[in-house]
Amino acid sequence: MKYVDAGYAIALGALFLYAGWLIVRRRRLEAAVARQAVPDDRAATGLARADGPAVDPAPAVDGRGDGHR
Amino acid sequence: MKPAVLRAIGVAGLVTTALTVWLGLWVTPPDQVQGNLVRLLYLHPAIAFDALYVAGGLAALGSLLYLWRRTRSLFWDRLAAASVEVAAVLCALTLVTGSLWGRPTWGVWWTWDARLTSTALLLVLLLGYMALRRVPAAPEVRARRCAVAALIAAADVPIVHFSVDWWQTLHQSGTILNPELTAHIHGSMAWTFLLGFIAITLDTTWLIATRYRIEVLQDALGDEELEVSLAERWAEGLPEAPDPRAEPVTLAVEPPGGRP
Repeated sequence: MKYVDAGYAIALGALFLYAGWLIVRRRRLEAAVARQAVPDDRAATGLARADGPAVDPAPAVDGRGDGHR
Repeated sequence: MKPAVLRAIGVAGLVTTALTVWLGLWVTPPDQVQGNLVRLLYLHPAIAFDALYVAGGLAALGSLLYLWRRTRSLFWDRLAAASVEVAAVLCALTLVTGSLWGRPTWGVWWTWDARLTSTALLLVLLLGYMALRRVPAAPEVRARRCAVAALIAAADVPIVHFSVDWWQTLHQSGTILNPELTAHIHGSMAWTFLLGFIAITLDTTWLIATRYRIEVLQDALGDEELEVSLAERWAEGLPEAPDPRAEPVTLAVEPPGGRP
């Protein structure tokens, strides 16, 4: 039975490992895509990028210092 | 594929696989000739079937439909890529489980038998496809190259299938998919054998659908990264934009009478 047990353990173990790896890969990619989507949305609404400073401290061009360029 | 459908397929795959293991290891009787080794045959042919005909077939179909101008779409390319990776995993498992059955039955782990050799060649071709897919190129160029590679790999599938009929080799002919299409298996063994095929096919479907989703996400991320990279390169080529924060300082040093 050792060959049979080894066969079942390897085949099913490998399939489960591969399935688990696919789930991890999918979740990581979904998170990465979501992270990219957030700065895009913020840029579209005129806010600062998420990977930059949370609030842009730079003074405005007109010198009013309202935080918007 | 809708997440609920994918989840249902996954659960069905898990349940049928568990049932196959229970029936295969504890319920079905040992074979008169092979003894307990017959239990490996509830998994090995099913895995081989899905590697060759389900995942391999989808890879070939996807590649063919991508190359055909009227149906050309990245959907087919992604389906082929997802199927090839799953086919490679199943093909490797076919060789491993077959080897574990062959050692006590034939006395060797490996022999240069036509069925074994053509299956190993298929695995190498599938790995070649996966390597080719990693070569940087525009999506359309990569898809075209990979489609051709997948069709070359697919040409090996009929050789694997008919190898036991074309050549007198060590590997026995099909239990069900033989030239006479007569089942050489009966009773609870036949039902377990059939359930194994259903279980592994459901598992394969779930794996391909999940892998397809990864392919879509990778492309989405790749496109975004490419756009950012192109924007950066484009910005490098442009004259430096004046810093708006420095502008008031420049104005302050200008002479009151204006520039000459």
